[in-house]
Amino acid sequence: MTTLNEELPLARKKRLDNKYAYFLVLPALAPVLILSVVPLLNGIYLGFTDARAGLNQETNFTGLENYTELLSNDLFWSSFKIGLIWAFSVTILQFLAALGLALLLNLNLRLRWLTRTLALVPWAMPPVIVGIMWQLVYHPDAGLVNEALYRVGLGDLSTNWLGDFSTALPAVIVVGVWAGMPQTTVVLLAGLQGVPAELNEAASVDGAGTWRRFWSITLPQLRPVIVAITSLDFIWNFNSFGLVYVLTTGGPGGKTMLPMLFAYEEAFKYGHFGTAAAMGNAMVLIIVVLLFFYLRRRMREVNA
Amino acid sequence: MSRLRSPKRKRSPKRKAARFLQYLALVGYLAFLSFPLLWMLSTSFKTPREVVELHPSLIPRDPTLDNYTTAFTQQHLARAAWNSLQVSVGAAVLTVVIALPAAYALARVRSKVNTVATAWILLSQLFPFILLVIPLFIILKGAGLTNSLFGLVLVYVTWSLPFALWMLQGFVRGIPRELEEAAAMDGASKFQTLVRIVAPLLAPGVVAVTLFAFISSWNEFFFALVLLKRPELATLPLELAKFVGIEGIARLGPLAAGSLMATIPSLIFFAFLQRRLTSGGLAGAVKG
Amino acid sequence: MKRLTPRRVAAVALAATMAVGSLTACGSGEDSADGPVKLRFLSLAWQEASVAANQKLVNDWNAAHSDIQIEYVQGSWDSVHDQLLTSFEGGDAPDIIHYEAALSGQFAQMNYLADLKDLVPAELKGEIGQNVWDTVTTPEGAVFGVPFLLESQVVIANKTLLDEAGIPVPTTDAPWTWDEFAANAKKLTEGDTFGTAWPLKQPVNRVLNLGLNYDGKYFQNADGKNSVVWGAAEQEVPRRIHDMVYTDKSAAPDALGMGGTDPLPGFFGGKYAMLPGSIYLRQQMVEQAPEGFEWVTLPPLKGLSQNQAANPQTLSISAQSEHQEEAMRFMADFLNPTNQAELAKGDWLIPTGKKAGEELVASTGGKDGWDVAVASANSLVLAPFQTVPEFSEWKSKIATPAFQEYFADTITLDELGKRLVEGGEGIIR
Repeated sequence: MTTLNEELPLARKKRLDNKYAYFLVLPALAPVLILSVVPLLNGIYLGFTDARAGLNQETNFTGLENYTELLSNDLFWSSFKIGLIWAFSVTILQFLAALGLALLLNLNLRLRWLTRTLALVPWAMPPVIVGIMWQLVYHPDAGLVNEALYRVGLGDLSTNWLGDFSTALPAVIVVGVWAGMPQTTVVLLAGLQGVPAELNEAASVDGAGTWRRFWSITLPQLRPVIVAITSLDFIWNFNSFGLVYVLTTGGPGGKTMLPMLFAYEEAFKYGHFGTAAAMGNAMVLIIVVLLFFYLRRRMREVNA
Repeated sequence: MSRLRSPKRKRSPKRKAARFLQYLALVGYLAFLSFPLLWMLSTSFKTPREVVELHPSLIPRDPTLDNYTTAFTQQHLARAAWNSLQVSVGAAVLTVVIALPAAYALARVRSKVNTVATAWILLSQLFPFILLVIPLFIILKGAGLTNSLFGLVLVYVTWSLPFALWMLQGFVRGIPRELEEAAAMDGASKFQTLVRIVAPLLAPGVVAVTLFAFISSWNEFFFALVLLKRPELATLPLELAKFVGIEGIARLGPLAAGSLMATIPSLIFFAFLQRRLTSGGLAGAVKG
Repeated sequence: MKRLTPRRVAAVALAATMAVGSLTACGSGEDSADGPVKLRFLSLAWQEASVAANQKLVNDWNAAHSDIQIEYVQGSWDSVHDQLLTSFEGGDAPDIIHYEAALSGQFAQMNYLADLKDLVPAELKGEIGQNVWDTVTTPEGAVFGVPFLLESQVVIANKTLLDEAGIPVPTTDAPWTWDEFAANAKKLTEGDTFGTAWPLKQPVNRVLNLGLNYDGKYFQNADGKNSVVWGAAEQEVPRRIHDMVYTDKSAAPDALGMGGTDPLPGFFGGKYAMLPGSIYLRQQMVEQAPEGFEWVTLPPLKGLSQNQAANPQTLSISAQSEHQEEAMRFMADFLNPTNQAELAKGDWLIPTGKKAGEELVASTGGKDGWDVAVASANSLVLAPFQTVPEFSEWKSKIATPAFQEYFADTITLDELGKRLVEGGEGIIR
């Protein structure tokens, strides 16, 4: 990382500030070091070993062996492709939908407290029931979707949404968007609060229309928050598998086999900790590359 | 109070139409996002027979309270709710208390700490969490923190911190430095500046982070499962999972009843906190 | 090479954590030197009746044995595997573990489970048939669990629809053959009603179990090496199911992606006349069938035989437990014939003990399909796939998607076989 700023003038003031900063960061440091950094380093290390589950199981350092195996594993690559489709579509759809909702919730509409609360329902529901409920929504015989299609006379379109090869992935993507929206909405809504009203009013006086104001004032002001939340959303979505696991366990025919689901099974079903951790490492590397371009600006801001 | 702020102007038909469309869109959103609540409500009053009907109806044909009785007598939902509440509030408060100063420092001060912190934040979110479970478990066990709600709080704080730092940094950056400098010029101390100027502006961000920390602790399942061995300590998600059996077959009625009972406290908490999402603070600050 | 196990890394971290720990540790309830032996029992019972039966048995035991106290912990099927693996690795597993043979067998391979060979009392051993003991015995001869509940695949039928079509209900002495089942399914297919629904969201176990009807082995062991076989015998059952869906059109295609109980609304609504499934489905019939709905349990289908794979639920003891003998004393009492009958009844499954089975038929009068259920236990055997250590991996990586594609009619039977065999080569070491 760049260290350009080290020898700038005002060094004394800066040193003072830094001491201050260390002091403020300190409380965050202790739990993070013990409960996050140590397991994390351990996890990364395991990716270079043949660690397996078992009592008194020996673990040997194997270097890059796990990775050469991964590279030649078709299942890994296909799950990786599915993971990218999943993460990109969920993140983008989630963001667009959440932005719209946040803008609406930011207006002076009636019953604002109620609408804002109801918008968070997916977040508030215990995950154990979310999967079960969506299975019922998509149920081929008694599901809400097919029932609705049937009632409006489109019964021919009804299908087994989670069981059909072509609809399974889109169907779980819808659930992913549904489940992730509240978080993104709350963050964007909080961000919208930070857009100075004066800017909008001034623009309004200048005769700028709603769209113009949105594009030239709201959106740029919101940018740091948008970058922060979409990058996190992308990472989370890429790493998530719980919901999909409940809905399809990766089926039908592997059509919804997300890479994390794959890694999870590798670790917890077959006890191949080394292979699973190696997958984790590989995915970290790939996402870092993908995010690098997106976050370059934010990183520059951080270090500027 | 929000209505007071909207100036009473004569509304043109065009504006009226826009308003109508806005309401329509909002209703659409809410229907999509919150229909499960209605579904849970309806299912929780249905008999086991009605739950498996081919053409389900929204209003139970012969409503029953049995599911609630079962949910509460068979599993210790009240006790579990109390445990969950302690853990979630503890985790949310601790997260914010730790993250707020750190985020401020990270956003305002330029140093290598930033790079390291940013790298860690991203890495901790990037690396599949599930793979860290076992080493983390061993550490907590060694520290005698298994079987205690406090241990669980620590795990949840660690889990929420990266998000909290990442988001709050963004919010701090959104506050123009000039505001702080102006306050300092007016003779306010650093502390006064933070409390009077920065804190109100950060309120929406803090609310978002609190919501996140609270709800991810409230809903977390796996760590609670492996850390809490004593049944008395079980949190809500653990108790609810007991209504699900072999091959994912669930006892839907009691599960819906229990889940509804678990959802409502979070929603009340949301309803209470969301008011703080409206700060209106920045406008005031600039004028002042 | 330096070895760094999770445990070792943790030990380093420990030093740091101790500081935090000493501030907060508040006697996490480890048992002291004297006083009663405390054992943790992780149970997976979840039906109301079965949970009640479990709790009662534990309470009775605790009241009668002040020296051995059992702590009853209710787990859930969904998460138990992860929970156990984590606690085994962390050295913190429950003493007594309720699970199923196929999966506790995996834990046995990892040396997490105690060998019970010399611990099981003779009486309990004699109660359970050797065919069932085989399913909990490793190739090396270690016994990793006591089997106590069995499950078999039967067909549940809408009695009214059978009567209307003039189809008599088969008896346990003269069960339907697969041909008869297919023919009757065709007869029952009319208008909006399908003869049957095959819920095959998880196709592998179902197909391999039933495959034994035609002596389908799917795995063979030559010179100590396992491999997948795909001959005429193995193809029989998948082909028959496929034909019912696509040739006869007597099985609903939409049901193929369903889980075991998903077809229930359709079954109760008269959309499917017959429903192949596990015997525990009878519980859903009793609890959820609409008023006046008449149903009947048909005996397991017959090919060359009625054989199916036995995958019993088991009680195991953790290898890390310090009180294995005490744990076995509890288990022996917990699984006596009367108790077994009670537990089986609560879960709508079959007890492994012979006496327990007899008691159960007597106490229920054979109603609600109990006669058929208990009789079906006789044809449960150890299937070859149950002794293949890599089976679970082969199943989810290769076989599940391949079978799903075959049943969705996107690949042929030959292609299916090719994928099963070649995929097996890559996984079985």
